[in-house]
Amino acid sequence: MDPLLKVQGVSVNFSGLKALANVTFDAHAGEVRAVIGPNGAGKTTLFNAISGYVESTEGAIYFKGTPIHGLAPHEIAIKGVRRTFQNGGLFPELTALENVLAGLHMHIDGSFLGIVMGLGEAREAEREGIARARRLLDLMDLGAIADQPVKDLSGGQQRMVEIVRTLATEPPLLLLDEPVVGLAPPMRDRMMEIIRRLAGEEGIGIMLIEHVIDLVMSGSDVIVVLSSGEVIAEGTPDEIRQNREVLEAYLGHA
Amino acid sequence: MGETEVPSMPSMTRWRRVYYLIPVVALVIPFFANEYLLWVVNAILVYTLVTVGFNLIIGNLGQLAFVSTAFFGIGSYTTAILMVYFGIPYVLAILASAVVGGIAGFLTSVTALRGIRLYYLAIITLAFGELMRWVYLHGDKVTDGSDGLLLPAASFFWIPLDSEAPKFYVFLLLTVIVVKATSNLMRSKIGRAIVAIRENESATASLGIHTARYIVLAFVWSGSVVGVAGAMFAVLTERVLPEAFGLTEVIIHFGMVLVGGTGSIVGSVLGAIALTSLPEYFRQFPGMDELFFGVVIVLILLFLPKGLVSLLHRISPVFQERYYRD
Amino acid sequence: MYYVLQLTLSGLAQGAIYGLIALSMTVVYRATTVVNFGHGDFVMAGAFMVYVLVIYAGLPYVPAAVLAVVILFFLGMGISRGFIDPIKTGPHIGFAMMSISLGYVLRGGARTLWGREVFPMPRVYDIDPIFIGELVVTGDVLFISAIVAVLLAVFFLIFYRTTIGIVIQAVYQSERGATLIGVNVQAFHQSMWGVGLAMGAIGGILIAPISLLHPDLGATFLIRGFAAMTLGGFGSLRGAVVGGLLLGVAEQNLGFYVNTALIDITAYLVIVAVLVIRPTGLFGKAVTVRV
Repeated sequence: MDPLLKVQGVSVNFSGLKALANVTFDAHAGEVRAVIGPNGAGKTTLFNAISGYVESTEGAIYFKGTPIHGLAPHEIAIKGVRRTFQNGGLFPELTALENVLAGLHMHIDGSFLGIVMGLGEAREAEREGIARARRLLDLMDLGAIADQPVKDLSGGQQRMVEIVRTLATEPPLLLLDEPVVGLAPPMRDRMMEIIRRLAGEEGIGIMLIEHVIDLVMSGSDVIVVLSSGEVIAEGTPDEIRQNREVLEAYLGHA
Repeated sequence: MGETEVPSMPSMTRWRRVYYLIPVVALVIPFFANEYLLWVVNAILVYTLVTVGFNLIIGNLGQLAFVSTAFFGIGSYTTAILMVYFGIPYVLAILASAVVGGIAGFLTSVTALRGIRLYYLAIITLAFGELMRWVYLHGDKVTDGSDGLLLPAASFFWIPLDSEAPKFYVFLLLTVIVVKATSNLMRSKIGRAIVAIRENESATASLGIHTARYIVLAFVWSGSVVGVAGAMFAVLTERVLPEAFGLTEVIIHFGMVLVGGTGSIVGSVLGAIALTSLPEYFRQFPGMDELFFGVVIVLILLFLPKGLVSLLHRISPVFQERYYRD
Repeated sequence: MYYVLQLTLSGLAQGAIYGLIALSMTVVYRATTVVNFGHGDFVMAGAFMVYVLVIYAGLPYVPAAVLAVVILFFLGMGISRGFIDPIKTGPHIGFAMMSISLGYVLRGGARTLWGREVFPMPRVYDIDPIFIGELVVTGDVLFISAIVAVLLAVFFLIFYRTTIGIVIQAVYQSERGATLIGVNVQAFHQSMWGVGLAMGAIGGILIAPISLLHPDLGATFLIRGFAAMTLGGFGSLRGAVVGGLLLGVAEQNLGFYVNTALIDITAYLVIVAVLVIRPTGLFGKAVTVRV
């Protein structure tokens, strides 16, 4: 099967500092691919490069066969690459419902004129969007807090809302940046469960950055190990567990 | 503050219908008010639109762009010039002011797009306003400079606008249309996109939303709305002067936005109602309006940062404006 | 050629004041990430204060100047404590709104008290001009340059060579780290506001004798301070001074050789030019955020 995402020889330079060096790998639909590595290894930079927030100085990135390197972030998102953010990308003053509706932006039809004049089609599309958003929130047991501003929610609920919003976009490829940080262990397991289900049942290609090694080991199909901007290992959890270089990279750092 | 009960959707929509009563009730005002009072009410309508347009940028888009006087002046002078030199009927002049205001908005948005934000945007937009005022002052062959451009008698279609009462009905109609259209705009995917940009611009792009397009849209809409307000202002004051669009006015408009409530259409209306009569009163003493509005804004920022509308919200969450329409 | 030098000389003196004002704005900005939009009006207030003390209270110039600076120092601390700290937790845009409004309060207050009059500041010193070849260095240029030079020397000496200066640098770089080592960051903010306003006041006091006092003076100070900061690189202390000097020189030369009207708008032109050509200015650091 053709890879969903092809990263070829991508390097990123920040005024002399090599954040990523010659990174190459493929990602596939229905697969959970974890990216791990010590702090500063370049994991978030990798996500930024793929999703267009950072320009790669060298190399190429292909999504479903078409090149996406050099495109603007929203263009890459429209093509199908979606992501979450390390520091939370939610809109604090908006309610959970509104956040999810923002995720449905691309799927709600409605012309400018129709919206401004309050015409039937536009209103119908909006109502459908709202119904869909509420359904999605209900699926994740978040229906009760749908109308609360997201800033008033607990950390765990916020993370879940962000996932729902990203799912609302119907992503073929999903980049999750530390999805379980700040969550209590039972919630973490739940999150990993959801992630596995999204890959397995919905066929979404998932890449995740994570520091909690047990979750990574038990939850992912493939692990890519970064250190100082370079890929030092790539393989199944078992293979990585026994990889000497990986152990050195982790133990060698304080 | 946790609410144990969130009002259900249908009742919220029903309650919002109350807002439609206000213009209906307002229809009888001319029967009870004298010319002066009606003039103040008309001024309130004009400033309502100024505040609604300005608030869109400051409150909803969250950019500190001091565009109000620039758009306001452009709208006023467009109407005045078209009517004085080309004999264009008022109805068309209003449309022209909306269009020209929109163009001004578009040009202003270019600065915001080039990544110019916060302090730079504030300074540049203030400078743009002052530049326009310089143009009004020195383009006196066309604008009659500091004497001000005197408007000919105006009619809205067949209705002569020779006293405050007919002006009131025309202004009321325009205000209702523009406010409703703005409300429709904000309670849609467009409004959500605009506010999302304010909340987290990077994340907005990750949802496939073309942020530049919505920034431009917000500025163009704001320019058009305030441009229409300018057209109304020209007929209200019957003489368009450069001083009405200077640095002092900017703080007055800004004050109305903050007092009413940033990011809220209802707030904009409240702010305009609360503060419109005051600038006229303070005009007698040079400096008093700046002093007053400065103090008011400082007090609001310290003690009621979300404006008067937040008091309404405390009464009942039903008044909370959201960015969707059910 | 002679004219250029002459103009440049007076431009440097003007520019020295712009640099001082820009430096004072940068001090506050680096300390609290707030650009004080009302700074120009505070500078104007300082100048007005000296005028009031000299004319109405009959104080001699020097004590009046010193008193004005001291008052403005405490005013700065008060502003930080009473108006900036309380809104710390709100959106950053709130700081800009607050500082603009405070500026308007001062401007409106000055205008209410003095109306549309414009005040000439009485001559307070009489220094003979000196001649270098054919160049005339007026008493004003000498006085202003000397004072500003001394002030800058003292400032940078303290900043780079003393413990206090090192502490200030540390807090500039990391407030969190500073709290961890026991620095009272709130007191720091207040002091820096005080220092910033005091320095700005000195600028106002220096420019008062050679220009006319009126309530709108603040706006001209603000735009020039801002332009100097932009040219020198926003946030750079050295940049603020250099930017100010260059701005002063540019104003005088453009004003003479092209059009006097340009003196007023040179600052705006500089801002636009810098933002278009090299947004980080001369000494600024590049920040890349791509959206």
